[in-house]
Amino acid sequence: MSRRRKASGKGMAGSVALFFFLAFMLLYLRDMKQEGLMLAIGVPVCTYLCTQVLGRIFHVDALLLSLTNFLCGLGILVLYTTRPTLAYHQVIYYGAGMAGMIGCIYVVRIFTSFRHLIWAIILLSLGLLALPFIGGREINGAWNWVFMGGVSFQPSEFVKISLLLVTAFFMNRRRMLPWLFFAVSCLVLLMFQRDLGTALLYYFTTLFLYYASSANLFVTGIGLAGAAGAAVMGYRMFAHVRKRVAIWLNPFADYEAGGYQIVQGLMALASGGLVGVGLGLGSPTAIPVYETDFIFAVICEQFGLIFGLCVLMIYAAIVWRGTTIAMAARTGFHGLLAMGASLMLGLQTFVIIGGVIKLIPLTGVTLPFVSSGGSSLVSSMCLTGLIQGVASVNEDQWEADEQLTMF
Amino acid sequence: MRQQRRRYKALALLIFFFFLILALYGAYSVFHNGNRWFASLRNPRVRTQKANVVAGDVLDRNGLVLASTDAEGTRVYQDSAEDRSSVVHILGDPQGQIANAVETFQSGYLYGFQASLLERIQDLMGNRERKGDQVQLTIDARLHTEIVRAFGRYEKTRNHNGAAVVLNYRTGELLAEVSLPSFDPDAMTEELTEDPGKPFWNRATQSLYPPGSTFKIVTAASALGNLKGADQETFLCTGELGIGEHVIHDFGLARHGEMTLSQAFMASCNQIYAQLALRLGDTQLRKTAENFGWNENFLFRDLVVENSRYPVRAGRSNYEVAASGFGQSAIVATPMHMCLVSAAVANGGTMMEPVVVRRVTGPDGRLRKGLESRTYRQAIRLTEAETLAQYMKDTVTMGTATACRISGAVTGGKTGTADSNVNGVPVSYGWFTGYMEGDVPIAVCVLVEDLDDGDSGGNTAAVIAADIFRYALKYPERLTEGGK
Repeated sequence: MSRRRKASGKGMAGSVALFFFLAFMLLYLRDMKQEGLMLAIGVPVCTYLCTQVLGRIFHVDALLLSLTNFLCGLGILVLYTTRPTLAYHQVIYYGAGMAGMIGCIYVVRIFTSFRHLIWAIILLSLGLLALPFIGGREINGAWNWVFMGGVSFQPSEFVKISLLLVTAFFMNRRRMLPWLFFAVSCLVLLMFQRDLGTALLYYFTTLFLYYASSANLFVTGIGLAGAAGAAVMGYRMFAHVRKRVAIWLNPFADYEAGGYQIVQGLMALASGGLVGVGLGLGSPTAIPVYETDFIFAVICEQFGLIFGLCVLMIYAAIVWRGTTIAMAARTGFHGLLAMGASLMLGLQTFVIIGGVIKLIPLTGVTLPFVSSGGSSLVSSMCLTGLIQGVASVNEDQWEADEQLTMF
Repeated sequence: MRQQRRRYKALALLIFFFFLILALYGAYSVFHNGNRWFASLRNPRVRTQKANVVAGDVLDRNGLVLASTDAEGTRVYQDSAEDRSSVVHILGDPQGQIANAVETFQSGYLYGFQASLLERIQDLMGNRERKGDQVQLTIDARLHTEIVRAFGRYEKTRNHNGAAVVLNYRTGELLAEVSLPSFDPDAMTEELTEDPGKPFWNRATQSLYPPGSTFKIVTAASALGNLKGADQETFLCTGELGIGEHVIHDFGLARHGEMTLSQAFMASCNQIYAQLALRLGDTQLRKTAENFGWNENFLFRDLVVENSRYPVRAGRSNYEVAASGFGQSAIVATPMHMCLVSAAVANGGTMMEPVVVRRVTGPDGRLRKGLESRTYRQAIRLTEAETLAQYMKDTVTMGTATACRISGAVTGGKTGTADSNVNGVPVSYGWFTGYMEGDVPIAVCVLVEDLDDGDSGGNTAAVIAADIFRYALKYPERLTEGGK
């Protein structure tokens, strides 16, 4: 069984590599730019090699890794067609993300021996999350970035990892107060930074994980009602929330006042049609923040709605792999960890795509793996790293069992 | 542990469910609104494409070229200023001042966005100049000129603003859509923008007017559908109906005496229709109106039409409900919608979706899209539609719409004179909505703004409508399927 999965992993990695080779080659033949050729060779080789090499070191899930690689590559590809410099940066971030992923696999594998460090993680994370108040600057209405020594990053992206470790750890031990304290502190800090999208993500991931660990529908229901109440309160109390909702309901009426973002996104969706205008064509750069929040609209304009649907299915497949791995976990901690990471990725995808297609109000979160930006890409890769770590622990234990039965 | 696994599965399914909603909503909203989003003037893609693509021609149903592109890439319209101006609201202008006209709303075709993958590759390989699709409309351009002339022909309508809509009620094809005042797209000036007559405004589809007595079609339909034996009953008109502190009078303070539903319809008696509305009740009357399309979000594929409104509010006073019976009290509709109402009655209760595009052909002559007739909704039952049609025919032969009686064809219709207030100044609007039976199945709606004192829909709008019917009798081939 294990051999068969590896074989399918190879086919998958191969097709991903081929896709990017052809795509970048096309762009190279059009522009004849050296960088295009480098990407045409570099991206497929990287995605293919890392599946092969990593598979030899750990027992990683090859399918999950290929899907992750595909989305990362897609981000690089789309950014290359819109603003090449961002694509080169993205390649570097991809490398960093790969390192982060491997790091996370290690963390999961050794975590049980260092569990007393959990309090250190909590303190460190809260400190990190409070950093924007000292070294921060406002970007797009939210105060959630840190600029230090020439480096800028978004702490809330990295605290996601700690949130999952802490909640999985304490929920598994049925100790409610520590994780509740941590989660609430995070939410309060995020609220003050006006990072509503990330706060939403933290809240629902924690709530769903709580339900998974406790099966307490009553408290979960209270949590959902609380979210609804907070939404109504926020709407009544904050003008910027009201404005967002008004823009969501009728972006065309509020075009000048901020609706243009969504309107331009919708126009991009409509221009793409079913099969898209073609790679590198169209005017996706007309959309404000096309490189992060609206990258899904760019994908749909160039590749069409059918491809957009496929991208959504790839996210679904990632969530499904994560859930399978969580279900195969031997300990509650590992299960909750893998499930939490899957939920986080799934919810984030829903929140941003839903915002772009005007299903829900737009909140500024990124599309995992695809959106431009180091913090987002690295943290998304780290989240899959958590899932992969659990997968490798599962596989180790499975092998240990097999050996036991042999003797 | 097993319990926990089951919950993991449930949560994953929840996420999949979210994704499913994303997919369904996304597909639905792009399918329904895609063209509206795309055709918006704010779409920079259309502007870029305009520079690279030779826009396709626009033809009327008889092959007359309404717009084409010359060698320099500028848009050329018809030769005579009169012809150009009469179709400008449906066709559009070079500046894009008229919202959602064909030149902008069909830009997906005109600028070649709908070209297939194969065609794009061929253009690219052959290094050919890209050409947009040719769009043939369902409208008859000559009828537009004729309608504008008819407005100018009569003293009571000359220099009045207004609108006229002509539809084929069997297929939904739009044959004419005129809005006055009009302007010449080849001689656009700065003053047009500030003109108080708002020449850029498409009165046929964008302006909401109180429908007045033409709404009695809806009240009568509601009575026929909801009150047993209403068509046999007699009602009493005393000339005055007191409701609370209000008194309802009839046009010209008439006093009709005892009448049947049909006679009250022909004479357009407000008092009896007010009584009917009170008997039906606000909810029942509103339901019938909603079946006809009031309070509906019109999402026609080829047309953007302002939504008609019937107040949805609990506890409307008796006076308001009574006035609703003859189309006053905050009920509003566009001329396009009132034309659809007659069209539905004429078509056995089935309202067809209005269509504007007859045929789209690619640059290589390949048919891209043909006429797509679609039922919009079943407004009323067939038997009610037949009774109503008889009422409307009687109204033409011996009621308020005798101006529409023409030899050689059977016509039916309803007139209306609606009162309203514009910035405190009372104004009245003359309406006619009706249809013609026979080989040229057309529904017509005419609206004349700002009537002179003592004038009514019957001696203004109905007169224009009669000219439209005569045109249809004289040139049936221009308006029906074959074309020229």
